[in-house]
Amino acid sequence: MSAWLDRLLARWRAVFAKPALDAEFDAELAHHLEMQTADNLKAGMIPEEARREARIALGGTEQIRELHRETRGLPCFEQFWRDLGYAARAGRRERGFTVVALLILAVGIGLNTTVFSLVNTVLLRPIPFAHADRLVWIFNGDPTGSSHSLSAIASEVNTWEGLNETNRTLEQIEAYDPFSVRQTYRLTGAGDPETIVSVDVSHGLFGMLGVSPFAGRLFLPEDGVKNAPGRVIITHQLWQRRYGSDLRLVGKTIQINGEAVEVIGILPSADPFTSVFFPAVRVDVYVAIRNDQIRGRGNTVTLIGRGKPGLTIESIRADLRLALARIKKQYPKRDQYCSANVVALHDWVAGSLERPLFLLWIAAGFVLAIVSFNLGGLLLVRGALRRKELALRCALGAGRNRIARQLLTECFALVATGSILGGVMAWGFIHFLATRSSVEIPLLQSLRLDGMALGFTVLVTALSVVSCGALPAWKMARDIDLQHSLKDDGRGSSGGRHQSRTRSVLVIAEVALACVLTISAGLMVRSFFKLLKVDLGFQPAGLIAVRIDPTLGGSQANFLENVLDRVRALPGVEHAALTDCIPVERDRSWGIYPINQADSKDQRWTGAHIRLVSPGLFAAMGTTLIAGRDFNLSDKSDSPPVIVINQSLAHEFWGDADPRDRMVSVNGNTPCRVIGVAANVCHDGPEVPADNEMYLSLHQVEDAGSWDMMVRTNLPVATLTKGLRDALREIDPTLPLSKVRPMQSLVDRTLSSRRLLVWLIGGFAAIAVGLAGIGLYGVISYMVTQQTKEIGIRMALGAEASVVRRQIIRQTMKLALGGLALGLGVAFIAGRGMQSLLYGVASDDPIIYVAAASTLLICALAAGYIPARRASRVDPLIALRAD
Amino acid sequence: MPQEKLDFLQGTLDLLVLQTLVTMGPRHGYGIARRIEQVGADALILNQGTIYAALVRLQQGKLIKAEWGRSENNRKAKFYEITARGRKRLVTEAENWQRVAGVVHRILEADNTPSFP
Repeated sequence: MSAWLDRLLARWRAVFAKPALDAEFDAELAHHLEMQTADNLKAGMIPEEARREARIALGGTEQIRELHRETRGLPCFEQFWRDLGYAARAGRRERGFTVVALLILAVGIGLNTTVFSLVNTVLLRPIPFAHADRLVWIFNGDPTGSSHSLSAIASEVNTWEGLNETNRTLEQIEAYDPFSVRQTYRLTGAGDPETIVSVDVSHGLFGMLGVSPFAGRLFLPEDGVKNAPGRVIITHQLWQRRYGSDLRLVGKTIQINGEAVEVIGILPSADPFTSVFFPAVRVDVYVAIRNDQIRGRGNTVTLIGRGKPGLTIESIRADLRLALARIKKQYPKRDQYCSANVVALHDWVAGSLERPLFLLWIAAGFVLAIVSFNLGGLLLVRGALRRKELALRCALGAGRNRIARQLLTECFALVATGSILGGVMAWGFIHFLATRSSVEIPLLQSLRLDGMALGFTVLVTALSVVSCGALPAWKMARDIDLQHSLKDDGRGSSGGRHQSRTRSVLVIAEVALACVLTISAGLMVRSFFKLLKVDLGFQPAGLIAVRIDPTLGGSQANFLENVLDRVRALPGVEHAALTDCIPVERDRSWGIYPINQADSKDQRWTGAHIRLVSPGLFAAMGTTLIAGRDFNLSDKSDSPPVIVINQSLAHEFWGDADPRDRMVSVNGNTPCRVIGVAANVCHDGPEVPADNEMYLSLHQVEDAGSWDMMVRTNLPVATLTKGLRDALREIDPTLPLSKVRPMQSLVDRTLSSRRLLVWLIGGFAAIAVGLAGIGLYGVISYMVTQQTKEIGIRMALGAEASVVRRQIIRQTMKLALGGLALGLGVAFIAGRGMQSLLYGVASDDPIIYVAAASTLLICALAAGYIPARRASRVDPLIALRAD
Repeated sequence: MPQEKLDFLQGTLDLLVLQTLVTMGPRHGYGIARRIEQVGADALILNQGTIYAALVRLQQGKLIKAEWGRSENNRKAKFYEITARGRKRLVTEAENWQRVAGVVHRILEADNTPSFP
């Protein structure tokens, strides 16, 4: 075996040492001849004869040299190398073709690899957690399951603990606090004070997910008990950013909200927990949940369980239903809003992306098909043009196999170069996507170039190149009638007609696919613009949210009013008010029911988003007060409690009757009087319809961890921040003010994944239209070249240039209309599958159909006009002499 | 083993060259060619040049090694010498040969006796 391997290596080396080895062998042969001649002389021959006999005994020198070269080297490889060189020369000669073909290949391969990688990362591959296939998402919900607000899907600590003890199908249930990510803290000491984001996780969560620390340790059970010392795990990026990647940080204490907490661990740079559950959020530290401290605070944790091996989701679901029934029996007071729904974690994380990504996938597939057709058409044209060259090479003695191999090598060179370019392009795209930290697509940050995706795409393109480029050309070379081909220009032969039909079919298919893509893109773009125009119930433009973390101790309300007074006095600030819950970002609901004076048993509980606000918030947000009044400073903690509700809630309780001065109870507390009705606010961005909302004055209810000041101003963020810093230094010099964000950017973030999708689909459609145009142009312009002589004759006989032009444009349009008709039909049928992705647009929106059709027709017209003009300028004399 | 699948004649020639180097010691190409002619094996080769294909094959497989030296008429010549690996190969190949030759011989002998009426 090793002799064989040694030989292979030696042969490989010999390929590159050809001149030296040739020289050495020549010396050896010379010596051989010399010795033989000498012996012949000794045997009595005359010198002339001795030399001749020596040569005869040795054999033909040239053949021996060739035999030696073949034995010692790799003839196949060397020939392939020569063919490659030939292909490169041919490519340089036909520069236009090469550039276009490579560009098409690169774009097709690049885009498809990107999209396949994206689909693979987000949808197909398991989530990057240990035993990902066994992880389930356990969520609460009201019996109708209609509300998807965080408060409705989160569970109580008691439920979590109860499920953990009584279930029989899960190895463990861990939890995190989804509300904690909205809270911010002040990180002080060593450098400027900074606002950080912290997430509360159960002590076993990271262990269950298989996240291991980069340094230090994970949480232990003793970190989750009541009154445990403050300990945090920090993220890799905070460690790098603030602590200069100093490993000695582990075990040291840092100051968070003025409290000393110990850093027990550092997470690895790829933090799968955040990228799955909080994409587009920069989490800084993790804290262990202390069950006893949040017990009885309502629905505060979301649950993730790991099933025992080999169990189905159904069996886990059934088991948890039983477990929950047992818990409810134990605590009969538990309300009906307590359930334990189970879905696979992967479905929970990626479920909503399935349809958009699937659409993207189809679109990418279409582009790949168009690329293949287009390349195929180009190669067919080129093959036809090369007939003569191939015939000539045949005539000069090249074997058919030799020519076939040559053609294959050319295809290989084309696909290989295109793949490299496409791979680079895909790498660039993927890098771009993976660094979009503001796009809310889970796992986007962990997007990598997928070898499988690249391989698959390259394979598809290679097959199309070979089937359209090499196969027909080889067939042609095989069937070549040498004399005929060399003399004639090949026009009118049956092979040519067959090929021109193939080309037409390819182009029609391209136009059809491009049409479907353009319509899909049009629908998506129109939906997007509709979404941008949705009335959010507040005016995000010119509104800036400033995170104000209250000082510890003392009255929050007084401190906050003090802050507001100073900010309102700043030049350029129109309004300033506080809320604990800015739209888009935060989400918390409480229960509410109307108190009917006539019948006190009427307790219709419902959930509503709760905001604690300062007077003046509606003016600052730009939210209309439909009826009644705003809070004012006379609504104090010792005055009767008042509430503002939104239209949706008012309508649910009292229909069209005037809600003012009616009484409601929030969370079963002291009745509040309704003083006003505010317009609905689209709290989760434009795509989610508004829900019930209620507003309480922060002077009457102080239950909030951190506040956002909504500042209506035309000042840029930086100027405002500086003004705020100066204005607030006297009250609190350590206020970080590092979270100053325009509301518009937060609203944009809710549309970020859709925006990305629209961009991608739009880009695909543009490429598709461009490629279809190139395809049409290629076919028509080839046709014109073929018919140059005919056109010349017709013009010599007096045909007008405009007639010739019109005829060629008519031919282009015939192809384009064929494709268009097919495409419109397919789009009409396929459009229905898209309906759920659209917003405010019907899938058969006539405007989009007309726009897409016109775009394609204009493109076709341009593609036909260029060759048509060339044809109409044919000089009869030159045309007739051509070929 | 791919070596076994090599062309019949090629294998024979390689075997001959190895055997020659064992019996004669280091030799140059011409010497080996002459030796093969002397033992009457030249029927197995097309011409003397064929030897050199066998030599490069064996050398690349490290069954023989080559070195430039001075030949008997004081000219520069390339001398070939069998290696340990070559000796081992020769033993196995020779055994193979003898076994095959024995079988072939038996078959031919048997065919000579008319068993079919």
